Amino acid sequence: MFPAPRTSPTRADPPPLPGDGDVTYLRVVDADAYPDWEAVYRDNVGRLYRLIYARVGNRPDAEDLTSEVFRTALGPLRMASSKGEVRSYLLLTAQTVLASHWRRSLGLAVTSIDPESDADYLAEPSGPEPPSDAPHRAGKILAALPDRYRRILELRFLEACSIKEAAHSMEVSVSNAKVLQHRALRMAAKVELELELGP
Amino acid sequence: MSRRRLSDFIDALADGRRPGKFEADPEDVEVLRTAITLRAARPGDAVPDEQFVSDLYETLAATENSEIVPITRPTRMRRGRVALAAVAASAVLVGGTAAVTEALTSAAVPAAVQAPHGSAVRTGTFETADGRVMGQIVVYRGNPSWVFMNVDGSSYTGPIMCQLQVANGTTVAVGNFQLQGGTGQFSRTIQVDIGHLRGAKLVDASGAIVASATFA
Repeated sequence: MFPAPRTSPTRADPPPLPGDGDVTYLRVVDADAYPDWEAVYRDNVGRLYRLIYARVGNRPDAEDLTSEVFRTALGPLRMASSKGEVRSYLLLTAQTVLASHWRRSLGLAVTSIDPESDADYLAEPSGPEPPSDAPHRAGKILAALPDRYRRILELRFLEACSIKEAAHSMEVSVSNAKVLQHRALRMAAKVELELELGP
Repeated sequence: MSRRRLSDFIDALADGRRPGKFEADPEDVEVLRTAITLRAARPGDAVPDEQFVSDLYETLAATENSEIVPITRPTRMRRGRVALAAVAASAVLVGGTAAVTEALTSAAVPAAVQAPHGSAVRTGTFETADGRVMGQIVVYRGNPSWVFMNVDGSSYTGPIMCQLQVANGTTVAVGNFQLQGGTGQFSRTIQVDIGHLRGAKLVDASGAIVASATFA
């Protein structure tokens, strides 16, 4: 599950200073290790948030769970671990935190984090473009739907329209828009399942 | 009722609000997952808010700095003190991270405990005497090994102690932590073979067993 422990580069003790007794030295930091917890946070907070957001689909829960992961993980974390080991630990913590979230909120797991298959979320360089494959997956699902089903889901989920705005745009009543959205999601779920099971 | 709550949950997702809680049916999982997939594809929302990132940093800095050493500073010591510190470190059977770190730091060896690695993971579910689920516990075999637990499902606020039960019948106290409104998390390095663990107990301040778990 976790990467094998790596051999640390040679550490060289700094030379003693003149007249030292018990002299305090700064630790030599491996190039592959984080120098301090702030570096762990800065390097991973965006990546971890993106992964969790992709699993819960809303900002308030994604922020709460990201906070919970760091609060839980940073305390016992020690800095001589390699970056890969730190990220593995963050992913493992996120896996448990997400599972607990679903158990509390819905009583069953809707999505999950796999530390192995989701490792790319933390391994990819942070940047303005998220490494999530959600747009690609959503595009494939929507492309397989009838026009009206595709349109209601585009309006609601991608274009941030309220149900009233979506109903107005599609020239139907609000109650009809709700029914349309429900049926469209049911069909989209079947499509997504077929895509996962497909070749 | 369930369909109404499912619809409310999906509307909250689409509107960017925090969805409410409800007991979902297994047949709803695929619809919920698809709604999340579609919502996660909305441009721009996958980037964390700068204020959130800044606020969380401040929170962590205020609450975690006492437990995290930003730059470890091993002290060069005489050989006798090094040996003494090494003995102290090796004498810890089940110890907190802080204790282990202190011992190792004083020994002028890499002041670090590795993040967990290895394949062995054992899990258990905390349950009350009447069968209510109160959380999860996970132990990882590594160097050192780790225990992580997440507790919720009660209204209890106050200190709680976690005890690990070893197969030979002994019980080892791992540490204390606080439950707020029944919720709390705890993680700690442990120096015990997780293969020898049988279960875990949560004990309140009065010594009463709140919940227990058996490792799978």
